[in-house]
Amino acid sequence: MNSNAENLRNFRSRLEAIGEGANGEDPMSDEERVRRAGNAFLREINGRMAVDLETCIHCGMCAEACHFYEATQDERYTPAHKFDPLRRFYRRELSPMRWLFRPFTRKVDAAELREWQELVYDACTGCGRCDMMCPMGINISELIVVMRKGIASAGLAPPEVQALQNEQLTGGSLFGVDAAKLRELVSQLKSQQIEVPLDQPKADILVLTTAVDVLVFTDALAALARIMNRSGASWTLSSKAFEAANVGLISGNTSAQALASGRIIDQAAAIGAKTVLIPESGHAYQALRWEGADSSGNELPFEVLAISEFVTRELDAGRLKFKAAANGRSVTYHDPCRLGRHGGVFEEPRRLLEAMGLENRDTESNRRENYCCGGGCGEYTISRAAPLRQKVFEIKRREFENTGADAVITACSNCRVNLMIGAENARWQKPIESLVETVAKNLTDA
Amino acid sequence: MRKDQTLGAYLFSQGVSRRGFLKFCSATASLMALPPTMVGRVAAALENARRPSVIWLSFQECTGCTESLTRSHAPTVESLIFDAISLDYHHTLQAAAGHGAEAAREAAMEENAGEYLLVVDGSIPIGNPAYSTIAGISNLDMLKESAANAAAIIAVGTCAAYGGIPHANPNPTGAVSVSDIIKDKPIINVSGCPPIPVVITGVLAHFLTFGSIPELDELGRPKAFFGQSIHDRCYRRPFYERGQFAKSFDDEGARQGWCLYELGCKGPTTYNACATLKWNEGTSFPIGSGHGCIGCSEPDFWDKGSFYRPIAAGLWGSRDALLGAAAAGAAIGIGTALAARSKKKRANAAKETEST
Amino acid sequence: MTLLDFARGPALQWSMIILVAGVLWRLGGTILINAKKDLSKARKEHAVADGLKTIATRSLPAHQFEKNIRFQHFSGYAWHIALFVSVLFFAPHILFFESVLGFGWPSLPNSIILITAAIALAILFALLIRRATHPVQRIISNADDYISILVVIAPLITGILAFAHLGARYETLLAVHLLSVEALFVWFPFGKLMHTALTFPSRYQAGSSYGRKGVRA
Repeated sequence: MNSNAENLRNFRSRLEAIGEGANGEDPMSDEERVRRAGNAFLREINGRMAVDLETCIHCGMCAEACHFYEATQDERYTPAHKFDPLRRFYRRELSPMRWLFRPFTRKVDAAELREWQELVYDACTGCGRCDMMCPMGINISELIVVMRKGIASAGLAPPEVQALQNEQLTGGSLFGVDAAKLRELVSQLKSQQIEVPLDQPKADILVLTTAVDVLVFTDALAALARIMNRSGASWTLSSKAFEAANVGLISGNTSAQALASGRIIDQAAAIGAKTVLIPESGHAYQALRWEGADSSGNELPFEVLAISEFVTRELDAGRLKFKAAANGRSVTYHDPCRLGRHGGVFEEPRRLLEAMGLENRDTESNRRENYCCGGGCGEYTISRAAPLRQKVFEIKRREFENTGADAVITACSNCRVNLMIGAENARWQKPIESLVETVAKNLTDA
Repeated sequence: MRKDQTLGAYLFSQGVSRRGFLKFCSATASLMALPPTMVGRVAAALENARRPSVIWLSFQECTGCTESLTRSHAPTVESLIFDAISLDYHHTLQAAAGHGAEAAREAAMEENAGEYLLVVDGSIPIGNPAYSTIAGISNLDMLKESAANAAAIIAVGTCAAYGGIPHANPNPTGAVSVSDIIKDKPIINVSGCPPIPVVITGVLAHFLTFGSIPELDELGRPKAFFGQSIHDRCYRRPFYERGQFAKSFDDEGARQGWCLYELGCKGPTTYNACATLKWNEGTSFPIGSGHGCIGCSEPDFWDKGSFYRPIAAGLWGSRDALLGAAAAGAAIGIGTALAARSKKKRANAAKETEST
Repeated sequence: MTLLDFARGPALQWSMIILVAGVLWRLGGTILINAKKDLSKARKEHAVADGLKTIATRSLPAHQFEKNIRFQHFSGYAWHIALFVSVLFFAPHILFFESVLGFGWPSLPNSIILITAAIALAILFALLIRRATHPVQRIISNADDYISILVVIAPLITGILAFAHLGARYETLLAVHLLSVEALFVWFPFGKLMHTALTFPSRYQAGSSYGRKGVRA
């Protein structure tokens, strides 16, 4: 239980090693980069985005929603500026008035793609807070995702992100966590009397985990196993498809994203799963729950649930019960962007906290308006962005402190890693805890 | 009435008192927007002025201008001053007819070469000169001939000044104004359909007083009478400022005397002295009678849409043009969207060949 | 043909043809680019209602976000409302709409219109200066932003001058006013003034795409 800090230290050095070990840019001519980015833009811009790109009035209000702008007051971090090359590309190539706009609209070049790498990977976590603010109703975060896709196609994703993506694309592992590593952890848990069904031929629920949980938050996986066992459900982990994280979604590589999702979808079909359970990972939820069907091209033959959704359901059905553990402890629930704003899971975690007798004190920004942890969507893997991240962390710290709660609870291991690193750097002592671990601790024994 | 008699001598011989004469002079001065200090000069000039010879040519016209002039109630200073000029040729008013009439014109032109005033009402057909002839002479030839030795020309009425109603679309006779033909003489346009009689006499008085033509606006009209718009001097203007408009000719607003802007009044874009001098001995003017100004002293007033169409309303052709534009716009939009789709399809196909 | 006749006649006709054709061209060409069906299972099946709701709610103050955008937000409200009142409720304008649409509506007193026009003009000037000086707005601004603001300012200035009969003869002022409005008509479909129409589909999309995920956008 105290191993988190040590695990985190190991994980941090691993993260830094990725950055140092990664190659530079993919070898490619600049013309080829521009061409590939253009093709990615052409593929990804749909009618909805076209409306958004046509509608932006350059009011700049989105800057005020962006934690990166707020923390630095650097106007380059204005969300509308972050998709400016995409807007220009669109005006030249797809807009209904492209022939009129083209002579007055500068072409996107490779230098700009390089320049925007920092803006859309280091200084944007795709949190979507600006989407909620835009007076024109533009889904800005969606447009910045397309920027990432274009830059990734041009071989210009940051080296860390690129390296992680390649690892998942080729070997299927992440941070070196492969099937063998998973088996090792499962047998470790078994020695602690925690039964983890692995590779059952048939199961109702396919449970996923993430490399971060295997490497850092082993307790979270243990907690998940205890919850599943207590609920009496038929479930399994699969060594063929246990990784919920989807680096393709983060890097902007649609093929990699589809491949990672496809592994899970195929395996769930193979074991006849009716439910796929996503561990504490916001972007994994988005990748499968909201984008899985589109990546695979078919509606999913199973439902996708976040743990808090599953536990709430089991609680309502009476299959799980909490101890009356009310001890006056107060916590602040941090909404992970991709579980909350991008996922729609706001109330289940809060219901669980309440059911466990914990007092939830929301930060001033919460639910759809919550500030991102500052490191989401792969941002925290980028070493050079550490100082920027730390500035953004101060916004979170201020909000958390204002609640006066005893601890921060979240439901995304990436948020948790990032907040813990920020706290450690800032020598901030507030515990940053996991919802699933808290739930597991508070379950009745029978 | 001898030609060398001065105007003063003539008027006094007609029984006009000095007091009456000075009253006329100050009225004339104020009419011409001259300062009161100029009254003495006007009086001196008029008193000693020689009665000039005036030749009045009527071309494509309706005689409304002459009717307007003669409708002024006698005895008025206007009528007096008309007695004070030597009107040597005027179809409607002269007693002579046929060859005698033409002989009078020729004699006046010869005797007063370079000094006579030429007054023209009506437009000149140049499409086919035969549309209007006098004594076998086309209007065009008669105008050129009469203008050659004139001291100045007064184009009375909108037809002479700007072509007027004969000039209205489609202008079958090819009607043009005096100034379209005569380029080398001073021309004073006294526009209006018809013009205000006092304005005609005022212009004559100015010519008699100063021996020159008055200051003109860019349309060749004396600024003293055409310097301000009907709207600027309209007694209903306060209703305009307050946004109180009659909506029909018989509603409560119309009865209350509210602004006629919404009923198509052209007062704001029409320059004339109707609102100040008024008509029929200063009795009233169209707006005073409850009808909007039709803009008759402006060029092409007949072709500026309905008299009842407000100035703020456009003069554009038809709603059909907009429907056509809508259809064309939608069609182009669909076309560009389809082209964009096929562009996206090509990009999707190209994806297979890209490794990343 | 006088300047006023030109402004009321051919210039008006052609500018309106460009306006109507351009708006449909841009709107149709944008919306029809293609709409990919979302295959994921919606959390809530009232995406349409959510979309319509967002069209309305994005006009409201933005709660927590409000503290830093208050000036922009409220100046935006003020000048838009002032402009619409000036455009829609000035008696001569209603006559114009009547000539195009075939029906009119009651007008407001001129004194009120003069005030609203002055308010709109003053705020637009302030926003123009802000755009030219504020770092965020500077970095995201292009020629369209400046042209668009100028073609809105111009009719306000010329309109006030024509109303007050200041600077030239009324028919010249009126003609210049009409021409400035026609310039706005011509620019409208090509620049960001199109947000007048595009904001509806854009907000609807935000509301419906977030709404199907169970998020109020």
